[in-house]
Amino acid sequence: MRYLTRRIGLFLVTLWAALTVNFIIPRVMPGNEAQAVLGTFRNINPAALHALQIQFGVNAHQSVLSSYFEYLGNCLTGQFGVTAQGVPVMSEIGSKLPWTLGLVGVTTVIAFLIGTLAGVASAWYRGGRLDAILPPALFIVSTIPVFFVGLLLIYVFAVKLNWLPLGGNYSVGATPSFSASFIWDVLKHALLPALSLVIVTSGLWVYSMRNNMITTIAEDYVKTGRAKGLPTRRVMFGYAGRNAILPNLTGFAMQLGYVLGGAIVIEYLFSYPGLGYLFYTATTDHDLPLMQGLFLFYTLAVLVCVLIADLLTAVLDPRTREA
Amino acid sequence: MKRIKWLAALATVGMFVAACGGSSSGTSSSTANTGKVGGKLVIDNVSGSTWTCQFNPFNSAVLGPGITFAPVYEPLEFVNILQSGNPPVPMLATSSAWSNGFKTLTFTIRNGVTWTDGKPFSAADVAYTFNAMKSDKVIDLNALWSADGGPLTSVAVKGTNQVVFTFKAPSQPIFYFVADQTPIVPQHIWSALNQSKLHSYPDSQPVGTGPFMVSSCSPQNIKYTRNPHYWQSKAGHPVPMIKEVDYPAFLSNTPGNLFLAQGQAQWGGQYIPNVQSFYVGKDPAHRHIWFPPVLNVALVPNLSNPLLGKLPVRQAIAYALDKATISRLGEGGEQQPANQNGVVTPTFQSWVDSALTQPAYSPAKAQQLLKSAGFTKGSDGIYKDASGNRLAFTIKTISGYSDWDASLQVITQQLKAVGIAVTVQDENSTPYTSDIQGGHFQLAYAGSGGPAASPGPGPYYELRGWLFSGNIGSTNYSRFKSAQADALFNQYAGASQPQQVQIMHQVQKMMVDEIPFIPTTEGVDWYQYDTTNIGGWPTQSDPYAQPSPYSFPDNGQVLAHLYPSS
Repeated sequence: MRYLTRRIGLFLVTLWAALTVNFIIPRVMPGNEAQAVLGTFRNINPAALHALQIQFGVNAHQSVLSSYFEYLGNCLTGQFGVTAQGVPVMSEIGSKLPWTLGLVGVTTVIAFLIGTLAGVASAWYRGGRLDAILPPALFIVSTIPVFFVGLLLIYVFAVKLNWLPLGGNYSVGATPSFSASFIWDVLKHALLPALSLVIVTSGLWVYSMRNNMITTIAEDYVKTGRAKGLPTRRVMFGYAGRNAILPNLTGFAMQLGYVLGGAIVIEYLFSYPGLGYLFYTATTDHDLPLMQGLFLFYTLAVLVCVLIADLLTAVLDPRTREA
Repeated sequence: MKRIKWLAALATVGMFVAACGGSSSGTSSSTANTGKVGGKLVIDNVSGSTWTCQFNPFNSAVLGPGITFAPVYEPLEFVNILQSGNPPVPMLATSSAWSNGFKTLTFTIRNGVTWTDGKPFSAADVAYTFNAMKSDKVIDLNALWSADGGPLTSVAVKGTNQVVFTFKAPSQPIFYFVADQTPIVPQHIWSALNQSKLHSYPDSQPVGTGPFMVSSCSPQNIKYTRNPHYWQSKAGHPVPMIKEVDYPAFLSNTPGNLFLAQGQAQWGGQYIPNVQSFYVGKDPAHRHIWFPPVLNVALVPNLSNPLLGKLPVRQAIAYALDKATISRLGEGGEQQPANQNGVVTPTFQSWVDSALTQPAYSPAKAQQLLKSAGFTKGSDGIYKDASGNRLAFTIKTISGYSDWDASLQVITQQLKAVGIAVTVQDENSTPYTSDIQGGHFQLAYAGSGGPAASPGPGPYYELRGWLFSGNIGSTNYSRFKSAQADALFNQYAGASQPQQVQIMHQVQKMMVDEIPFIPTTEGVDWYQYDTTNIGGWPTQSDPYAQPSPYSFPDNGQVLAHLYPSS
């Protein structure tokens, strides 16, 4: 119980700190929304600058402190305002979330599974051929920047071979439905960005899993399991794997932040209309309400995942519950 | 359209290493208008973000890609910038007349027009639209009612079918913004809204008078269907003749350009590198391009800089630039070299003072100008003044504008050849806009494609944006301040047509004598079209409207002219 309250307390303090940083960062960026709108579109009368300044309250002076408390209050009550284009921030995030969740969420789980399984297998058969090839190969690939992998895949599969689409989430003009042909269309569009992310992130799990596994295999309870004559798979996953995965689990939650960051580059590269792309346009358009909404969303996502990982650790490892 | 961005550019370079081709004008289509309704038009213009499905024509973000004005909402009269000598085309107003020394403007409103919800359109809608801008200043995008009580002082209905605009001072050029640049909205819907918050009305199901109606909208695509009761329709001659229009959202140029090249869209407004081989060459019989110039791109000196404030330095820069090379290497020949007199040609040829001699490319003359002004060449080959200040400057530009970067490479070399050192500094569009409006730069590359004074029917509109002292802080980037220029621009508002030409001749002389900024290339309307299934396109020989899908309200003219040809 004490473990639980301490974790939740820490969660709240971190959340407050993150909210404060979210408030400060967009405000120290140069320029303002009115100039951003003028800079983005053409054929607009420069006299519109005056109108835009009124709209975005550019010259309306409000003290930093009072807007800070207003912002905190809005965050608590879930009011995030409207974007520079006049759409409620929450509905904008809500409409893009499924695409990012589908793309990044699924690829992260796949990458985690591939990396972890490769780690378990190579530790179990340590010193063998598998151990000599798989972890180094995955690790080396994971150091390549994700945009480079993406560009390479686009060049080979979309441009040279013309097997897969260049970008987007589904074909232009297609009507969303639950038909087999539409789902196939969506999968075809998601394949290249998903592949880039899996290639780059799988390797991150291999070494930590392999090293934990090797330490765990030497433990007495694993020897006991083997001595009892339990099947290899049972000992590998139920005895050794379960304990070795604990540090990786926390790492997985932390990793989410990196993955969301990587998603910005991948979604931009593939013109994929998810949260990452939205974040990019919000920043270039200097869209304060949208940026704050997205920052908050990302922070919450990472913090909640860390909290869940902490709770999961408590379930998997009884010792933490008493600490 | 959005400019090419670096990642997309990287992909593009990898993909299309093809020979460079110049631009050519399209020939008009030989297909005949059968008078039948049908077919589908797909527009390809990269908006850079998915659609918000809002159609409020006063929201600047909605206005930009031309999705609402003028397919749905229409202007009073259409002014064609490409034919600035022609009278305006009557739209919702059948005629207009100035009186009282260009201080009173009266429109006669068309009878028999209906909104797409079936309600009749009237002069009251027109008066309402303009008065709404007074109650919500945010939607007054052309500053018709500015804070100091002008230029407009009142808009009122007169009789049954007239609307009278009263101005504080002679306001001839404002005709363009009132008649052509303001979308008319229905009073019966808009007057029920909060009048001080009209700018935040989403207008997701717009009710207009235009040729098309929005039939469905998703973040990826806007579908339009023809307005069956459009007022231009006559028995035996339906308008519009295209049944459906799709306007998909593209996030970046690469997929947008590919979509056009694959023949999936018929009307493009894209910057395509090597457009001849990448687009036209794949079906030269049907695919055409035409890039009419409308607005300058220029090298802008900050006149408050002590060195650039000196005329000989600016003159030296003007003589040092070989604009033909900048056009060829920087813009792939797709934008033509610009004139130092500031007039975009051939679009505004009739305004040019042909007696005026413009500086011609001459590096020798440039160095001679610097020497006679007391500058001496240092050991590093760069000129400096008596107190040792080197002619070394930074040029601010917008990051991601790959054609501007290429032009600036050429400019850097040409200036170095006459002993002026420049370094290019790329900035994101927001800080760039902030810096050039606020005067935080030495030299800047600016104009068409970036935040610039919008063009109008005649060089007055652009040049007033650059040179009028009241525009310091917005589009007078070089911070040029001249009582003579201000007086000329003020006289223009009340002058007759021949007098206006004379005034513009004097402004051109000022451009050549004082070099307030140096036009380098002529920014164009990007335009690609495919005549396989659709005819009636604007062409160089029939320039009935600015041809880009994002040029409003010209896009409404094009949509009403197109017809299915198969």
